[in-house]
Formats: sequence, structure tokens, C-alpha cells
Amino acid sequence: MSPGSKTSAVLFGLSTIFVALAAGFLLDFRGQPALLYPIPLVATNFLDTATVRRSYADLVRAGDDLSDFDCYACHERGKPPRLRFDADQHLIVPKEHSDVVMGHGRHGRNNNCFNCHDENNLELLETRDGHQVKFADSPALCGSCHGPTYRDWEAGAHGRISGYWDRDLGEAQRKACVNCHNPHSPRFPSRQPAPGPHLLRPVAAGAASSGTPSNPGSEWVSLVGRDSWRAAVETKLGVLAREDARPTGAVVKLAQYPSR
Amino acid sequence: MPAPEPNFTPDAAPADAGVTRRSFLRTSAVLTTGLAALAASLKPLLQMNDFPTAERFLQKYYKEMTPDDMAKVIRRIENEVERQYGIRPHVRDLKPMDGVEFVYCLNLTRCIGCRKCVHACVAENNQSRNPEIQYIRVLRLPDGSLDIEKAEHNYAPESVPEKGYFYMPVQCQQCKNPPCVKVCPVHATWQETDGITVIDYDWCIGCRYCEAACPYWARRFNFTKPSIPKERLNPEMSYLGNRPRRQGVMEKCHFCIQRTRAGRYPACLEVCPAGARKFGNILDPNSEVSYILKNKRVFIQLKEEMGTSPRFFYYFDV
Repeated sequence: MSPGSKTSAVLFGLSTIFVALAAGFLLDFRGQPALLYPIPLVATNFLDTATVRRSYADLVRAGDDLSDFDCYACHERGKPPRLRFDADQHLIVPKEHSDVVMGHGRHGRNNNCFNCHDENNLELLETRDGHQVKFADSPALCGSCHGPTYRDWEAGAHGRISGYWDRDLGEAQRKACVNCHNPHSPRFPSRQPAPGPHLLRPVAAGAASSGTPSNPGSEWVSLVGRDSWRAAVETKLGVLAREDARPTGAVVKLAQYPSR
Repeated sequence: MPAPEPNFTPDAAPADAGVTRRSFLRTSAVLTTGLAALAASLKPLLQMNDFPTAERFLQKYYKEMTPDDMAKVIRRIENEVERQYGIRPHVRDLKPMDGVEFVYCLNLTRCIGCRKCVHACVAENNQSRNPEIQYIRVLRLPDGSLDIEKAEHNYAPESVPEKGYFYMPVQCQQCKNPPCVKVCPVHATWQETDGITVIDYDWCIGCRYCEAACPYWARRFNFTKPSIPKERLNPEMSYLGNRPRRQGVMEKCHFCIQRTRAGRYPACLEVCPAGARKFGNILDPNSEVSYILKNKRVFIQLKEEMGTSPRFFYYFDV
């Protein structure tokens, strides 16, 4: 073999490799970024740090409407209201107080307003052993029955505290019982959960709880430009398990998008 | 003696000494094709948009930086963020406090599985929104069992809590004996004196060994360039904490270092509507966490048998 033809063979081989590489990179067989499907920004109500309820103390601090606590606008001073019960000894809530749901305790015996309210002064609360408590100090009343929880709350192990863990650097606000629990119906209310993790490879709609009531926007994925071309190629090559899984339009249902 | 005749024949002359028309055309065709192919094969580099600046490339290791170096780095980060998001952030490098070791306690009786902590964390710590990176994973487990391998991660009922289930949020456990730190080949992650395991995002090479080593699925990798909408950017940042990350680096929960080292509670605790999350200094006998560990039924350090000794405790009320 003459030196000239050896050189050209090497050059020919090299350029073949280069051309193949160029084709590979241009067509991008591998190494495309993963298909991103739109993830809606989480609703700001899930970022809200407000408590479940606003306590009397909160209303006072905010200078808000306290007319709900102005008992003697309707009641008469020095005349304890009379409670009425039905045949099963359930309290009949008067229509003026129809917002009150009597659900404190499951034994049905905590059905008397004056277990907690002071019947002689409706603007105060009263413990079972006769201590009067202001609305703003209601945890003392709750603690008169719920001792261990009150102890934990005082130590910071129950309930919410926000602000500064380092009390030298700033203040911490301890939330009261009534910031989370409705005293008339104290079970912690249920709520809608925030969206869960977004998977890079969406799972099939029928599969375990990927149902997306809290996450409706993630159901759709937009395939545009080369991605739809690529999808068509994959369909042709039989990469997809089911040909009908990929509609022809630019938008496919995410639930039908197969995992690779 | 006459000089030796040079080895010269009329036939060989063009091949050796000159260029014929044919060889010129052949060589230049090959060269042009080759160069074009080379250019095409380098095309993907055009898509690289995050070339390190000389400043970042020459940046020192975190622990070797002088305060002056750090001030320069912070200025660079502030400029980069401002260029990208149009918001001038406030970047700090907060150091651990003396006599402080952070501990987290989570009340499993109270957690209702609402996932507010997950999203408060994303908002506070400038995680990528698409793809979304979340540091906290809330597991749903049937009452009476604790087989976390069978936990449901993607539950989405109309309302929580659901009857018959309890919820267990899992995030970085800030281990005393962290496997992730041991495997890092470049020492880009380490444990600070207040117990927080941190990552220097500028030192991380993205090998993901730590992700594999972590038994709590706590570490997250930026597979793509993180995307954060401008209006959701948290401008209060710290170097080891929530400053925006690049593609190709690891990140994880750092107990909101930018908040907790300034004395504040972490974002997940602030947002928890049920008060299930408790955080504080375990070296302070009057802190909430000291009370909990002394008095409450603290049942686990998660995967205790791994010997990682987490600083994250789960407890019950009853």
C-alpha cells in the first residue's frame, strides 16, 4: 500500500466517523432533556401561616369587630339565661346562637353552656371549681379539665409557637387553645391536602391515588416541536406499548403518557 | 567522486514535492467534511448557558475562605441573582452559634398530612418549581404499622386526615453520623457544629453518591436548570442555605439555616396548622425539644438500626 492511499483511507475513515457523529448529534437520538409537563404554582393559601381560628385576644389586638362578645347587647344583666333541653337531654341551641355546634366531648354530658361560661356574668368564663376566667385567658379554663395537654402546651410541646426559638434574639408567640380548636366543637378540622410530589415520569391515572383533585393542572402535557416528531417516530418504532396511547394532537392526556 | 544522484524520478515528483489538482480537491473535501462534522458534534455546547465565570471557577473551598473572600463571593452571588431575577437579594453567611445544637421533634399524633410544610419549604428555600424539588415527603401509613417501605407518597384525598391512617413527614434527619458526608469525594458536604449538615453548592460536583448513601431519601438533585418564578423568589438568602442552585448540584433540607441561625423557627414549623412540628436547641434544658425528649413518648429515630443517629425525633402524645 502506498503512503498516499493509506493517508486517504485514514482520512476517509475519520470523516465517516465525524459524519456519523454529526448525524447523531443533529438528530439527538439520546440526550434530549426530559419532557417537562407544566406544574402549576402551588396556591398561596397553602403557604399561609395563619391559625385555623382567631381567638378573642387576636380580635382585640387587631381592633376588629367584638360585637359577638357583647353579650349584654341582648341578654339582661343579673338574669342568668334559662337553658332548654329536648327529651334526650340534648341542649336546644337558641336560634340567636345557631352558629354554635355543641360537639365538645363524645359522652354527650358536656351539654351545658355554664360548664364553661359564667352564668352570672356572660362576659366571663368560669371553671368547674368556680374560678372566673377572662376570654383572653381561656387556656386556663381549658387546662382546668385537660391537665396533661395544658402542661404540654405550657412547655411548648402542644400547640403552635411561632417567631424565634432563641428568645434572646426575638419574641415567640404562643398560640392559644382556641386558635386551633373551636371550644364548642374542639376536634381539629380536616382540610384539603396540598399537592403531592410531582413525578418526572407521571404514573397511570388508574394506579394508586394518582388521582389529582388537588393537582388538576398536571393532567396535561404539551408536546410541541421536535418532541411531537419524536413521539411519532417512537410510535412508528413500536416503542410505545399501545399505539393508541399517543393521540395525534399536540396535547396528550398525561395519564396516558407511558413511562419509558 | 561525483555527488550521489538524488533519488529523483519524474513520476514521483508531484506526490512528494507538490500538490496535484486531484490530491488538493480530495484533501480539502475531506477536511471540509471533517471540520463541518466536528462543528456539528460540538453543537450541544451552544446549549450550555451556565459557563462558570473565572471568579466562580477560581473560588476557594468554603472552609478555606477568609471573610474577605466570602464578602466577594456574596457580592458575586447577589449580582448573579440580580441579573437573573431582577431582584437584589440579601445573602449572608451565618455561622453556627456557640452552645447550640438543633433538634427537630415531630408529633405523629398531631400531623394531619396536609403537606403545607412541603410547600412552605419550597417557597422559603427557593427550590426549582419545574421540575419541582421538595425536601419534605409526607408518608401515609395505615394505623398500627410502621413499614415505611409500603408507605403511600402520592395520596390525594378530598380532605385529610383520613380515617385509619397516620402521616409521617420525612426530611433530612441531620444525622450525628451522616452517611452522605462520608461518601462525598470532594468534601462538598459536611456537618456543622450546630448539627446541620450543609452543602457548598459551588463545590459539589454532582456525583450523587450522597443521594445513594442517604437512607431517608432526603437529598435532591438538580437534573435540569432550576426554574423559579420571579415573584416567588425569597430574597433573604444564605450561602449554605437557600441561594439559588445550579443545574447538576445536590440540595437538601438544612433546617432553614438562613432562619434558624438568626434565631427564628424554620418555615415548615411556622406553617404547620396542627402544631405538630417542634424545633429548638437541645443544649438548652428549657427548650421545647428538651421537654419533649425528657417527658414525651419519643418512639423513634427513623431507621435507628442504620446507626445514623438522627437529630430528628418522632413522638406521640399518648
